[in-house]
Amino acid sequence: MAAHPLIRRLFTGSAPIVALFVLLLASLWLMSDATHNSAVFGQLYTLLLGVNLLAIVLFVVLIGRSVWTLFRQYRRQVAGSRLTARLVVMFVILSVTPVSAVYFFSLDFIKRGIDSWFDVRVENALNDALELSQAALGLRMNDLLRDTQDMARSLRDVDGEMAALILNDLRSRSEAYELTLFSLKGDILAASSGEAERLLPMRLDSLSQMLVRQGKTDVELVPLHEAGLFIRVAVPLPAGAPENPPRILQALYPVPERINELATSVQSAFGRYREVAYLRVPLKYSFILTLSLVLLLSILMAIWAAFFAARRLVAPISALVEGTRAVAAGDYEKRLPLPGRDELGFLVRSFNEMTHRIAMARNEARASQQRAEAQHAYLETVLANLSSGVITLDAEHRLRTANRAAGHILNLDLDRHAGEPLATLAERHGRLQPLIESLEEALQEPFADWQEEITLFGAGGRQVLMCRITALPDGAGHVIVFDDITALIQAQRDAAWGEVARRLAHEIKNPLTPIQLSAERLRRKYLHKMAPGDADVLDRATHTIVQQVETLKGMVKAFSDYARMPALKLEEVDLNALIREVRELYRGGDMRTRIRLHLDDAAPPVEADVGRLRQLLTNLLKNALEAMDYGEGEIRISTRCAEEHACRYLELKVEDTGPGIPEEMLSQLFEPYVTSKPRGSGLGLAIVKKIVEEHGGMLLARNRSGGGACIVIRLPVPGAASLSDDEPTNEKPDDDHAAA
Amino acid sequence: MPALPNRNRGRAWLAALLLAWLALPVVAADDHDFVIKSIETALEDNVWRLDAKIDYRFSEAALNALRNGVPLLIQLDIQVRQKRWYWNLTLAELTQGYLLLYHALSDTYIVHNLNSGTQEHFRNLDAALASLGHIRNLPLIDAELLAPDREYEVRLRALLDIESLPAPMRPMAYISSDWDLDSGWYTWPLTR
Repeated sequence: MAAHPLIRRLFTGSAPIVALFVLLLASLWLMSDATHNSAVFGQLYTLLLGVNLLAIVLFVVLIGRSVWTLFRQYRRQVAGSRLTARLVVMFVILSVTPVSAVYFFSLDFIKRGIDSWFDVRVENALNDALELSQAALGLRMNDLLRDTQDMARSLRDVDGEMAALILNDLRSRSEAYELTLFSLKGDILAASSGEAERLLPMRLDSLSQMLVRQGKTDVELVPLHEAGLFIRVAVPLPAGAPENPPRILQALYPVPERINELATSVQSAFGRYREVAYLRVPLKYSFILTLSLVLLLSILMAIWAAFFAARRLVAPISALVEGTRAVAAGDYEKRLPLPGRDELGFLVRSFNEMTHRIAMARNEARASQQRAEAQHAYLETVLANLSSGVITLDAEHRLRTANRAAGHILNLDLDRHAGEPLATLAERHGRLQPLIESLEEALQEPFADWQEEITLFGAGGRQVLMCRITALPDGAGHVIVFDDITALIQAQRDAAWGEVARRLAHEIKNPLTPIQLSAERLRRKYLHKMAPGDADVLDRATHTIVQQVETLKGMVKAFSDYARMPALKLEEVDLNALIREVRELYRGGDMRTRIRLHLDDAAPPVEADVGRLRQLLTNLLKNALEAMDYGEGEIRISTRCAEEHACRYLELKVEDTGPGIPEEMLSQLFEPYVTSKPRGSGLGLAIVKKIVEEHGGMLLARNRSGGGACIVIRLPVPGAASLSDDEPTNEKPDDDHAAA
Repeated sequence: MPALPNRNRGRAWLAALLLAWLALPVVAADDHDFVIKSIETALEDNVWRLDAKIDYRFSEAALNALRNGVPLLIQLDIQVRQKRWYWNLTLAELTQGYLLLYHALSDTYIVHNLNSGTQEHFRNLDAALASLGHIRNLPLIDAELLAPDREYEVRLRALLDIESLPAPMRPMAYISSDWDLDSGWYTWPLTR
């Protein structure tokens, strides 16, 4: 359905406008010509007027539509509408102002010009000429009346049959062109005409008939069609002979040719002048109308042309605006149509080239970004599936990224803390403090690599982390990699001590029984045979051997117990009741050491193995008593339920008033064979530590400021782990813990 | 509810418009207009002939123009039509043109029949108009052309032809009621 390109070109662009303008100008010219009453155009005048009015209506509609469209575009702030509006207003002002000036001056000229056609002297002269003609003809009419009356008299006695002949005769003798004899009723009785082809003589008009019947005469000037002026005279023909009733004679005289010509000329000029004078006002209005139409059409054409031109001019600009908007919105594929070869065309071409280049650059960037993203995703997947926690920090030690394992190990949603400095993290989650303090300390160091084992105590219990820090290139921050090695360490220790115990059992326990048996045998066999002095020595020696072997056996048993502790049988245990129970065992009569309890009655039960806990308490008490050498002093056992770093736990504290722990031993107090006491296996506190660790607890040992040692055990309370991990607490952890 | 007053208002407007339209001819037919007084038809020598009387009452503006030498063209339209229930068929159409003009030299009014070319002069306007308004024996149509079992009618209209006025006067004449001189159609049955 695409129109033929030629037709389309004819109906778009400037060709139809030019054609329309030419047509309208032509019609306006014709109309102004018609106003001068030129014969051909006079007939077209109304049509032309209509056409021009129609054109005005058409223009008004077109302009109205354009204005409305522009108004709507302006309100919607369509690209280019403001510029179009400004251009239109400018064009309109530029065109209307001079046209209006010309119009108002022309109007004045028309009024003055038309008025100047008329001159009172000319009018008077024409009136006089008419009067003169009438007077000249009047004289002649009087003469002819007399002639006719003479003829009437000579006809008075002529009867009907003769009348025609006499009339002929009279006509040929006079200047008369036509003589007719009428009855009083107006019937033709006889007639004589100078022209043969004239069939009927001129009728007697009723007025004339009436006048003559009253005995009067009637003379008038008759302008005959195509024959010029005639003078008609009607006179009565009184009754003569009885057979001749009164009759009427009408004579028609031609006006002499020269006079006829002059009179016709005067009549014509006078008539024309009268008509024009009469038409003066309509003519003025008509000229004004034509001029107004020309003005209106010119202005409307100018306005329309203004719209047309403004649109043509603005189209590439608004396309550019649209294009710029599209580019700003990220659409670089936009190509604008080329408006032509002018500067705007150059601008549009440059714009197209620019967007093309931007699009290419953008595609390039997008591709490389996709590659980077793919790489990133790959690394992310690798990191996510790593069992080690990986955290990256920026140069200001703020958290940048963390993998899933990191959050999992620290039991934190690290993504929520992205961008926060490490210190904030420590404030929010106090249990991370040891880790973060170590990290910050390490981060201050300029070394690229750092590695440390850090122990945390949280809701989930004790946690040992192996941390490594590596600096990123170009000072972009650090990578912290850490592994939860709690289980690993535990397993290693268990394995090591299991081995020790097994050896002890095997290597030491086996020879003990023969030694004991041999000693008892020596005693039985030789004691009574010996002299009392020797017997005494033997008795003491064998007694010592047996006793020491018993001790050794106990020690070996303790080792094997440590190495092969049976599986935990967890149940809810009231720690306070257990403490009281254990204390009862030490309430002997010769006890010089006082044991005091400060138990928190609100302490919740803990989930633990009763046997182990009893062993733990026994070991601790024994340890304290041994430290004080069962001498004067006080052991203080206290419990409390505490919440620290949102972690709920039960704290057991055993304090003594002994000499305290030597400084050099503090760090390895809980290792096997570490003891400051002359007696003791060195396993007491090791077993305590092991039991605590089995229960996911934590152990601290320190010296009291007032002398004596203090051992703190923290056991997690069931259900505490479900508490929110993020709630910050103001409670500071116990500061000077020495080891864990 | 607001629909009803709206519709009422619409009806009121319509009624007012209708009234105005009905009143229009009354207003227009004041002291100046062409009025067809009577029509008579007669069969003579197997040809239908028309007699009509028309009262030409010119407006003062038209008379003024006439006296100032502007010729007035009076047009007489005559139609013979066959009556049908849906659309009347025009069988014959005749337009008579009479040019009325004033002759200053002789102080007479001339009536120029444009169809026949004849010219009559009258010493006053009334005589000219009386002559103009009296149509006698105007042949209409041959009776042979009319079927006896059909119904026919003749209609007549007299009007002032504004297009024949001098161009400067036309725009005003088109919009002024002074120049809207038209009798409208006057219909008369054409029966034996």
